[in-house]
Amino acid sequence: MACSAPQAASKRKRVMFKQRPFLIETLTAIGLIIAPFVLPYLGFAPNTVNRILVWGLFGLGFDILFGFTGLLSFGQSAFYGTGGFVAAYLLTQTGFSNVLGALVIGMIAAAVTGYLVGLIALRRTGIYFAMITVAIAEVFFFVEFNPLSAWTGGENGLPGVPMPSFNLGFTTLEFTDGWSLYQFLALCYFVGVVIALRIVRSPVGAIFSAIRDNPVRAAAVGHNVHGYKLTAFVIAAAYAGFAGGLLGVLQAFMPPDAFTFDTSGQLVMQTAIGGRGTLFGPLVGAAVWLFLQDFLQAALGLGAAWKLVLGVVFVLLVCFLRRGIVGGLADLHHRLAGKRTRPPQRQLAEPVVAGQTAAGDEPMRASASVPPPMHRPAVTDSSSPPLLQASGLTKRYGGLVANNNIEFSVRRGELLGIIGPNGAGKSTFFKMLTCEIGPSSGRILFDGRDITGMHVTDVSQLGLTKSYQVNQLFTGLTVRENIVIAALARLRGKFRLDLLRKLDKVEGLEKRVRQTLELVNLTARADTPVSELAYGEKRRLEIGLALATSPSLLLLDEPLAGMSPRERTETVKLLKSIGQNRTMIVIDHDMDALFELAERVTVLQEGRVLVEGTPEEIRKSAAVQEAYLGGIHGVLDA
Amino acid sequence: MKRLMIEQPSRLAVSRRQLLQTAAGLAGASMLPAGLMPRAFAEDRPAVGTFPAGASGSSVFIGITVPRTGTYALQGEDELKGYELAVEHINSGNDLIKQISPKTTKGVLGKEVKFGVADSAAKPNEAVQAEQRFITENKAILMTGSTSSAVAVALNKLAQREKVLYVTGISGSNDTTGKDCVRYGFRQCFYGQTAAAAIGPIIVKTFGKNKKAAYLTPDYTYGHTVTKSMTDYLATAGWTTATDQVAPLGAPDYSSYLLNIANSGADVLLNVNWGHDAVLSTQQAKQFGIFDKMKLVVPYQTPFLAREAGGDLMSGVYAATDFWWTLEDKYPLAKMFVAAFEKKYGYKPEWGANNAYMQFALWAEAVEHAGSFFPPDVIKSYEEGRKVQSTVGEVYFRKEDHQLVRPVIIVKGKAPKDMKNKEDYYDVVEIVPGEGLMQKPDAFGCSLGAYT
Amino acid sequence: MISWPNFVSQLFNGLALGALLALISSGLTIIYGTLGVLNLAHGAMFMLGGYAGYVGYQYSGSFVAAVAAGAIFVMILGVVMERVVIRHFYHRPNEDQLLVTFGLGICFVEIVRLFFSSQSLSVPPPPLFQGITNLGFMYYPTYRLAVVGIVAIALGVLFLLLYRTRLGMIVRAGIEDSVMVDSLGINVDRVFMVVFGIGAMAAGFAGIVNAPVVSLTPGVGDDILVETFVVVVIGGVGSFPGAILGGLIAGEIISITSMFNPSYAYVMLFAAMTLVLVVRPHGLLGAAGRE
Repeated sequence: MACSAPQAASKRKRVMFKQRPFLIETLTAIGLIIAPFVLPYLGFAPNTVNRILVWGLFGLGFDILFGFTGLLSFGQSAFYGTGGFVAAYLLTQTGFSNVLGALVIGMIAAAVTGYLVGLIALRRTGIYFAMITVAIAEVFFFVEFNPLSAWTGGENGLPGVPMPSFNLGFTTLEFTDGWSLYQFLALCYFVGVVIALRIVRSPVGAIFSAIRDNPVRAAAVGHNVHGYKLTAFVIAAAYAGFAGGLLGVLQAFMPPDAFTFDTSGQLVMQTAIGGRGTLFGPLVGAAVWLFLQDFLQAALGLGAAWKLVLGVVFVLLVCFLRRGIVGGLADLHHRLAGKRTRPPQRQLAEPVVAGQTAAGDEPMRASASVPPPMHRPAVTDSSSPPLLQASGLTKRYGGLVANNNIEFSVRRGELLGIIGPNGAGKSTFFKMLTCEIGPSSGRILFDGRDITGMHVTDVSQLGLTKSYQVNQLFTGLTVRENIVIAALARLRGKFRLDLLRKLDKVEGLEKRVRQTLELVNLTARADTPVSELAYGEKRRLEIGLALATSPSLLLLDEPLAGMSPRERTETVKLLKSIGQNRTMIVIDHDMDALFELAERVTVLQEGRVLVEGTPEEIRKSAAVQEAYLGGIHGVLDA
Repeated sequence: MKRLMIEQPSRLAVSRRQLLQTAAGLAGASMLPAGLMPRAFAEDRPAVGTFPAGASGSSVFIGITVPRTGTYALQGEDELKGYELAVEHINSGNDLIKQISPKTTKGVLGKEVKFGVADSAAKPNEAVQAEQRFITENKAILMTGSTSSAVAVALNKLAQREKVLYVTGISGSNDTTGKDCVRYGFRQCFYGQTAAAAIGPIIVKTFGKNKKAAYLTPDYTYGHTVTKSMTDYLATAGWTTATDQVAPLGAPDYSSYLLNIANSGADVLLNVNWGHDAVLSTQQAKQFGIFDKMKLVVPYQTPFLAREAGGDLMSGVYAATDFWWTLEDKYPLAKMFVAAFEKKYGYKPEWGANNAYMQFALWAEAVEHAGSFFPPDVIKSYEEGRKVQSTVGEVYFRKEDHQLVRPVIIVKGKAPKDMKNKEDYYDVVEIVPGEGLMQKPDAFGCSLGAYT
Repeated sequence: MISWPNFVSQLFNGLALGALLALISSGLTIIYGTLGVLNLAHGAMFMLGGYAGYVGYQYSGSFVAAVAAGAIFVMILGVVMERVVIRHFYHRPNEDQLLVTFGLGICFVEIVRLFFSSQSLSVPPPPLFQGITNLGFMYYPTYRLAVVGIVAIALGVLFLLLYRTRLGMIVRAGIEDSVMVDSLGINVDRVFMVVFGIGAMAAGFAGIVNAPVVSLTPGVGDDILVETFVVVVIGGVGSFPGAILGGLIAGEIISITSMFNPSYAYVMLFAAMTLVLVVRPHGLLGAAGRE
């Protein structure tokens, strides 16, 4: 976590890292250099340390997949084995003698396998994904034994994997056993850490975290969630493949066990013990695991019971220390460091809360920093084609008709309102417009293009997005990180593999995030985690997420829902300032607010358009008054 | 990290403290503690493997990995008993050891033998990890263990790389002293080729020529080579293979395999499965009515098979094995061994324990004869082809592939009513001398590799 | 070259295997469908059923007592596990539920290993079903034949429980719409506990019924777990009929493949699962709701 997103300086530690960008890399290097001088005294044999490094490297990729992207795979052994056996086969059976070359080829083979497997496994999420990966791991094991046993040696494995050596021209570097091989493995691990850090600090890394926290919203703001998941899957497979190759080198033997489900299970457990989402968790978990394995067996004479002890430790950690050992230490560190730095943070936070509750001038201040509103010729320009046009839009759920033959259009620059009682089909209508759900029949034209049946991500990329009735935020991230995720969608398009680019190198990102934060008046709360926000702030962030994608048409689904009267007043002001140079459609129950905002209002009832007109016309409409307005209005006023 | 200094396998006498000081002096360089390097030795020998570090104290260490869990656990524990008894005998200078290794007094070259045991679960990976630990942490001078040829082959390769001697435990694959043989590995027990050559004539004599055979083969090097040796031999008598059912190690249910066999029209079922797999598959074969249609033959017998399978399942069944306790009537050393074993453990030894005992005894003999633990000397001592006394008479190691030339014992299961005591499961029908059974040394592609 | 007697034999063997898979999978699927928790310790519970039954048999010498011991012990364990651990995970992410049940499964296996060692144990079939039955086209162990019947009865009981009782109505409603169940004002807490107990019992029952067929080792549940996943994915997560259909399909795939080459059985099973995922992502009888 500490290294997940340097753009967010919410926690002290992050600030620190931002100031000294190579701190983690440096500390890792120092740790790897001093390890062989310290660890022997703690009872670690060189072989154990080497094994820990291999697991640690294996785990770097897995942590990107599980800890950062939130995909729990029980099938990593498939790629570990694939990489390992490809490398070992090259080195033992073909006369290929370049160890590093073989490792890289093994890694590529694992990545390609990961891509193909990912295409299938990522068709589903959550539980299904976990089950499919278990099955994949098993199948790879069987395939290794049977169709491919001529290449993999079946149950025998591939013995005789050579040690790495490098001919530097003037001398040959030979890595033999023990601490000598450690140097090679440590170098591999170090490079692995540097790359992993670059990845998690890149825009792609930020989007991984967003997918973990809320894949639905990540897709809705315009990221190709499937593509990024597949990316994480391939990265994890590549790391696994390389580590698998190293296992063969380490043991001079590529064991068939590399493919077993137990290998995947051990990786998952080590990662959870060490701490997911920390990159170093798997390394720490492996150290704990292997140390306890030796210690419990040899020193305490527990025999086969060692695994039970580890199992109990694991269950307890999952129950009580979600982020494992590294996460727990990081939290402890924050708490200790927090004692020193907390007061200033409070001071930062408090004025906002105070200002919010005391007076409603915040939105005014915010709007002052927004670029001056453009003229809105579109409002009067009724000759131009509508920005959005829905015709004959119908949605049926079984026998229930949620929306029935709706005709609807918006012109550029308009600010429309939609009202209707509960169950009138307002939210369904919005979901169809943003293509979250497909209509049963009818067509939607946006900006002259037929978007019916398109994916919500593509629609968002075209400039049509919405804010949700129920907050859909990236709850594990800070306010700023939330906005960054949304802004990246517009700045980078729906899919881009800038894995090694630093987040702050994305052109225009900083400016856009700053503007959006100002617009929704969350600048002072930028580095606060979402979980600590007040409800009203969360609602503003919800709108901010939609705004940050710079939509040409913004849909707001009940932006005032659940707000206190004072918050409503403020938010209406905010919406007005936002709407000054945008095309917007707002759903709400609050008539007065909506009539104040909207230039034109559509009334939905039982899935149909009841009436349409200016707020004045609606107010006066007998049909509306009779069918609907009185009752609801009364309720709301009460 | 850029200035990696690579440690050469040097003979420098450097203590860890000195090295740390040096390292401290080389500011920034990531010199590593070669403090684990052996101290130079008075003996004029280069360092090879764990020599001389492992032989410099008052004791030497043997790393043992046997399966204590999984399909082969029972046989692993049995094997371990044989090792323990041998170590006890070696350290106390027991008569039996002295019969095998006349130069032995107490211990090996006067050094006490110590050992560590790790569970391999019959998995090569576990075994390799454990032995690697024994080598680095205990400076093991000898490795042993395996009841699976997959483990034996993996440890062979480890032995050759680490230059530490390895004497196999149970390993029936032709590859162990065939295509995967190594200079540092030695095998005492019989294997696919000798088993087939020994039991083949009896099968043909009993069941006739031009019959159909079904095989139940475990899916690894042991199973594949034993089945191949059997089919090759039986083909010379006009036998054909009706079906060869290859099952993974530790399969919980053989029903699909057995249905295929039941419907194959074979006359004889050769069950190559081993350990608990042999017990389970034989019991289930009975349940599927297979023995109403065909006869059972066990080409490579599993210790405790008759005991575990129960009933009269093995009655009249021919099996090839390494040792059966009634050989005590013929060989005096066998009698001593059976007596010592039964006294300590309370039952008659089976061939796994005997094999383990013999491996240590033969190693002690080779080391005493060499007069040194220096691995190349010990290997050359093995390779001399000396005749040595054993529990099955005179034996010797073939120098080309490090396989012991020894007889194969053919036994036939007794009907429960004919058993003279509760452990009298088999009659020894024939003791087939080893020389004639073995392939030419290079027939299975053995190339032993270097001494150092 | 297909030998017809072998084909029929294998087909029949597949039915026996499939019935067992169906029973285990239905336990997994109703727990998931109702509670939304995928119990990775389900395989370990299958194993525990066998061992509890073994202990029961050792004490009583009666097979019926063994079956009762296996089923009831695992049911109680399930209830305890739900109360003590799982309950606290309903509101935590799916991944945490997977991790904790996975960890518990390992603990169960290792506890058994500690007490019973890794040596395989066997429970003899009841005297009534010992021996071999000649079915005309094949010999078949009588007990395996009986297992098909026993499992069919157990599935029937589960069916009655799910489709003919109030509890069953709630469970099925929960599978389709958990929010609706909440709004019905039902004591969901208790229902969850009971469902977890029943699901666990199905695994435990299958474990002891299967014990005389195979030998009992601590790892016996691990392979079964993977097979049940495939069954559930094929049949549709949360669907009881899907579990039965999936179980039978999986059993037949394994057997028919075994006729040609038993080692490819798993690969074919997986291929079938992939095919289902591509053609019908929610499984053959699954609803699109839950994920």
